[in-house]
Order: sequence, then C-alpha cells, then structure tokens
Amino acid sequence: MNRRLAAGLAAATALALAVTGCGGGDDPAVGSDGREILTVALWNYENTPEFKTLIEAFEAAHPDIDVEPVDILADDYAEKVTTMLAGGDRTDVLTMKNVTDYSRYALRGQLASVADEAGTLDQSKYLSLEPFNLDGDYFALPYRQDFWVLYYNKTLLADSGADLANLTWAEYADLAKELTSGSGQDTVYGTYHHTWRSIIHSTAAAQTGGDLVGGDYGFIKDRYDMVLDLQTAGATMPWATASTQKVQYHTMFATEKAAMLPMGTWYAARLIEEKKAGTTTVDWGIAPLPQVAEGGPVTTFGSPTAFAVNNKARNAEAARTFVAWAAGPDGAAAIAKIGVFPAYSDETITETYFGVEGMTNDEVAQKAFQPDEVVLEMPVDERSSDVDTILTEEHELIMIGERTVDAGLAEMAERVNSEVD
Amino acid sequence: MATPTALDTVRATATGGTPPPVAGRTARRLRRRNTLAGWSFILPNFIGFAALTLVPVVASLALAFMQWNSYSTPEWVGLDNFRRMLASETFWTALYNTTYYALGHIPLTMVAALGFAVLLNRKLRGVQFFRTALFFPYITALVAVAVVWNMLFNPDAGPVNQLLRAIGVDNPPGWTTSTTWAMPAVIITSVWRDMGYYMVLYLAGLQTIPAELYEAARTDGASAWQRFWHITVPSLRPTTFFVLIMLTISSFKVFDLIQVMTEGGPGRSTLVLSQLIFREGITEGRFGYSSAIAMVLFVIVLLVTVIQFRLQQRSER
Repeated sequence: MNRRLAAGLAAATALALAVTGCGGGDDPAVGSDGREILTVALWNYENTPEFKTLIEAFEAAHPDIDVEPVDILADDYAEKVTTMLAGGDRTDVLTMKNVTDYSRYALRGQLASVADEAGTLDQSKYLSLEPFNLDGDYFALPYRQDFWVLYYNKTLLADSGADLANLTWAEYADLAKELTSGSGQDTVYGTYHHTWRSIIHSTAAAQTGGDLVGGDYGFIKDRYDMVLDLQTAGATMPWATASTQKVQYHTMFATEKAAMLPMGTWYAARLIEEKKAGTTTVDWGIAPLPQVAEGGPVTTFGSPTAFAVNNKARNAEAARTFVAWAAGPDGAAAIAKIGVFPAYSDETITETYFGVEGMTNDEVAQKAFQPDEVVLEMPVDERSSDVDTILTEEHELIMIGERTVDAGLAEMAERVNSEVD
Repeated sequence: MATPTALDTVRATATGGTPPPVAGRTARRLRRRNTLAGWSFILPNFIGFAALTLVPVVASLALAFMQWNSYSTPEWVGLDNFRRMLASETFWTALYNTTYYALGHIPLTMVAALGFAVLLNRKLRGVQFFRTALFFPYITALVAVAVVWNMLFNPDAGPVNQLLRAIGVDNPPGWTTSTTWAMPAVIITSVWRDMGYYMVLYLAGLQTIPAELYEAARTDGASAWQRFWHITVPSLRPTTFFVLIMLTISSFKVFDLIQVMTEGGPGRSTLVLSQLIFREGITEGRFGYSSAIAMVLFVIVLLVTVIQFRLQQRSER
C-alpha cells in the first residue's frame, strides 16, 4: 500500500512538474494562412506607437511574414525577458531596452550574432552602432536613438531673450530663476528636473568625460551644486516632493507648470500625439541640452534601443530579416514618420522627421537634433547594474539634503570601490 | 478499525475457527479505499503545493550553496554566498531594518487590534459600520494605500504635517523623505492596514469569553480596568498567541508595502530582507546569493516562532 502511494505521489509530482515546467512545444512557425510567423518581444504594445508602425510597415514589405507581438509590461520587461531566456524561450526577436541588458544577454550567449547584417549597413549614417560592439561582434542592431535635449515652453520664454541654441548651465540656471513665478498651487517653475539620477549623473559624465562605473565621482559636483541651488531658490520642484508625489514630468510640462524640461527625445512623439488629440495646448520647442562651456561642441547623453535575434529563435531567418530591416533606411523611414528619432539617419529621414505634423522644426530644434556627440547613459560594463543601485541610493540622500554633495560623492566612491567586485 | 475487527470476531465465532482470509481481504480493501479517498482529497492541493512551493524551497536550499545566474550551469561554491553576505553592509542594514519594522509593527498592530476589538465588542448603534470601516483597509488595493499615505505624509502639503503644525509642532518630520522617519511612516501605514484583520480575530476571541466571569467580577467590585486585565487578557491568550505568530511571520516577510511606498529608500533606510532577496535574485541574476539570504530569513522566522511556541507552552503549564 505505502509503496503504491509513494509511486502515485511521485507520478503526481512528476506530472505537476511537467505541467508547470517549460510548455514551449515545437509548433511549426507557419500560420494557417501559410505565412511564416515571427514573434517579437516588446513592451506596452498599445501605448508605444513605434512598434505598431514598424510591424505594419515590415509586414507590408514582407507579405509572407506575419509578425506577432509578445507584449510585456514595460516596468517588468528586463526581468521577464531574463526569465524567459532562462527557461529556453523561443521568441524570435527580442527588443533590447538598454545597452546594459543587451550586454548581459549577449555575454551569456543568449543572442545570435548579427555581425553579417551589421556589415551591410552604412556605418557613417549610424549614430549608435558602437555600443553594441562586443569584441568585434554584434548581437543586436539599434533602430532608434534617443538622447537628451531641453524642451521649453515657447509662450513662457517669449520675452526671455535667451540664446537657446547656445545655452550654458550657468545661463540655464539664471533663466530658470527668472522664469519662476507665482506661489503655492499657482507656482510656475522655471524648470523641472525629473527624479532620475541620469539628469545629473549622465549629463556630468558625458560633458566632463567622467566615468560612472570608475569609482571616483568628483566630476558630478558642479551639476549637484547647480540643481540644489535651483531647488533652494524655488526655481524647480523639490526632489522630495516630486518623488513622494510620483509627479510625472509630462504633467509638469504639458500643463505649463514648468517653463523648461531637460528630457529625452522620446518625449516629442507624445507631445505631438497629445497636441493632435487636443489634450494639451502647450506651445513647445526643443533646444540642445545646455553645456558646461560656451561655444564648444554639443555633447549630450542617450541610449539606443535595438532588436536582437534569440539564439534559440524558432524562425531565425525571418528574425534576421526583421532586425536588419528595422535598423536600416526602411525601418528608420517608418518610425521617423511618427516623430521617433531613428538610429539610422540621412537627409531624407531627417526631412521626414522634421516634416511630421506638429513637430517643432526651427533652427534651434535642428541644432538640438544634431548633437556633436551622444555619450551612453551608462557604460557597458559588468558592474553597471550594481553601481547603478549604489548611485541611486546615494543620489536620493543628497537630493533630500541628508548628505552634503561632498559627503555623498565620497560615499558613492567608497561603496562602489568596496561593494562591487 | 473497530468495525472490521468486531465483524471478524463474529465470523470467527460462527465458523468456529480463525477468521477466513476472505474477510481479512475485505477489511484491507476497505481500508485501502478509505486511504485512497483521503489522498484523493489531499492530492490536488498537494500537487500545487509540491510544484509551486516545495520544489522551489528545496531548490532554493541547494542554490544557497551555488552560483547561478539562471542561465549557466549552477556551480558549487560551498559557503561563499554566506561569507559574502556576512561581509555585506547592505545585508546588515536590511536585517536591522527588518527587525526595526517587526519590533514596531507587531506590538502596535496587536495593541490597536485588541483596543478596537474591545471597543467594538458591545451593543452600540452603528457598530457594524465601524467594524466594516476598520476592516476596509485590509482589503483595499495595496498600491492605492501606498499612494494615499505618501500624499498624507507629504512633508509640506500633507495633512499629517499640517495637523502637527496646527497643534504647535514647529519642525514636523520629513516622513518618507527622511532616513529617520521613513520607517516609522511605513510602520504607521502597515499598522493602519493590518489592524482591521487582527481585530476581527480578537472579536471572535472575545465572543467566547463567558459573560458570567464579568458578572462575577462586577459583583466583587472589580473596576473596568481590572476586568480587562484579569479576565479579558488571560481569556484571549490563545487568540493573542495566534495573532502574534501570524504577525511575526508577516512582519519578517514584509515586501509589497515597502516596495510600493518607498522602494527601500531614501537611501537604504527602509530596505528590508525580502527586497534584498528580490533585488539580488531577479534584478541582478545572482540566484545563489539571494537564495542564501532567503535561507537566513527562513531560519530567523523559524527560530522566532519556535521560541514563541516554547514560551507559550511554558506559560500554560
């Protein structure tokens, strides 16, 4: 009796494991209509117009391929893809949200090399292929390139007389103080700095040549001093308020509660869409990110988004076609039409981009969209993720005033050097 | 067991010898059928438990001694993960914060739950309404709770600090924007959220106390406080013990509320062990190290619970 029970139990457990374990069978990658099925892992499909645009344009160009989006919640994207790959998932194309995750997957051997496809691209027209170079090999090709610019409210800045195309940080700070008006609920801040540390850290790293994983953070001091001074002067919303109230930068800018907003180029598409829909009336413009010194080259920071081919892709051939197509002129033309800045860029694409209805396209904006250098938001390094956690924790303490800038920067260095191996 | 034996005896007597083998087989079959019926009731639940809890827990125990990033082959590293943990300042911070949270959350929730239970255990008009109102936070979506309390605790515009200023506190705390006050803010929120549930448990306990005890005490001239202290509290001991164990386990495992409310910040001031396990495992892909921390958390909860059981047994003797 007991032996039987034990056997029964074992069988039941095995069954349970089989049921809960990997369910991915080997279904043929061809749909009932005879078209090849290509699965693409991406996030928030409904609210990210670029994915829909890309997929529709690709299907139009490749009628024999049926693209099926694998929609993942944006906030959980990295964790979900990590788990999927660990379980031997066979989704064909994986979207690389940032370079840190890219290098992690690539170094673990989870992505297929796309060096051949990279070779066919005209590199002189590419803004951001280099970060994807891992010892001469490429495992993903970027299709869009975001970098930081300065959004401003044309109405509020109309009388400022500022030379927005050549702004230094010092001039920017003075301007922000000048533009601040009102009090209490009616305060209009001169500028709004979102809570992310990148607005301070990555700007400083890009414009001074500092290394964010290097373990020495003196190069950030000037940016902190400026931002904290703006906060004390009331020219920007205090970090603590923005953080606890979960304030959205879009709300601040679109409801004209802030005259300026340093933010990524991705934000333009949303402004265009909302103005078209009539949900905001803000008259917005784009200027280059302010610089440390006057008259020098425009340096900003940013992060490319790329497509990669899963090493275990069920339909690797179609996946390669998709990745190369999206990264090339055709993919670029498709997303430029909706105001998303592509990684590949030539005159036609730039024209398309600035020709988008509702896009700001004066001289200042043209300059903003042609920075001299775009530095990666966070270097590709095995330590990036751990360093990021430490820098974020210490950043919070500096911003709420529990640590002085000097003590905070020293603590960052101390912790990065002792805790990260 | 008794019935077949009696039956066998009757049969044995009737035939004038030892019970025939057929009867024995029937009994066995009956027993087997009963056992199978029992198992078939347990099995569906057990399969779920085995697949979703037992196997992962056992796997986690083994992983604590390995290095594994969820993709590579796990590599045996002995006690390395534990050594690394003991040397990590972040681990000790998280352990301290978890203990801080438990020491605040457990007694405050018990006192609040018992207090409200005693208050609402009488025949007042609208008592049902108040009971429901107090239970409500427990079934409210956690994200909503966190967002609303974050607003209440806003250092400048929040009602909490406005009230404090109104009653003459010049420098009210920064709550979730201060490393000193973030944990108290989280504890206050969690007490508010949990007390309704434990109040219901205490209410159930209060219903079982015989009214004669109070009558007798009143006849003897005992004050309200004496009745509470000498009748209510001792009679509620089994309930209190159950509440204490449940609260202890949930306090040490706290994750969701803190994750939504402060994400462990500012800095590391509200970082707890469960968050560290999540961060090291899911975010950083160090499943071995995070399993080691999980083991430590498991042992701590186990030890605290065993000690509480022992103390309970001793006091009952």
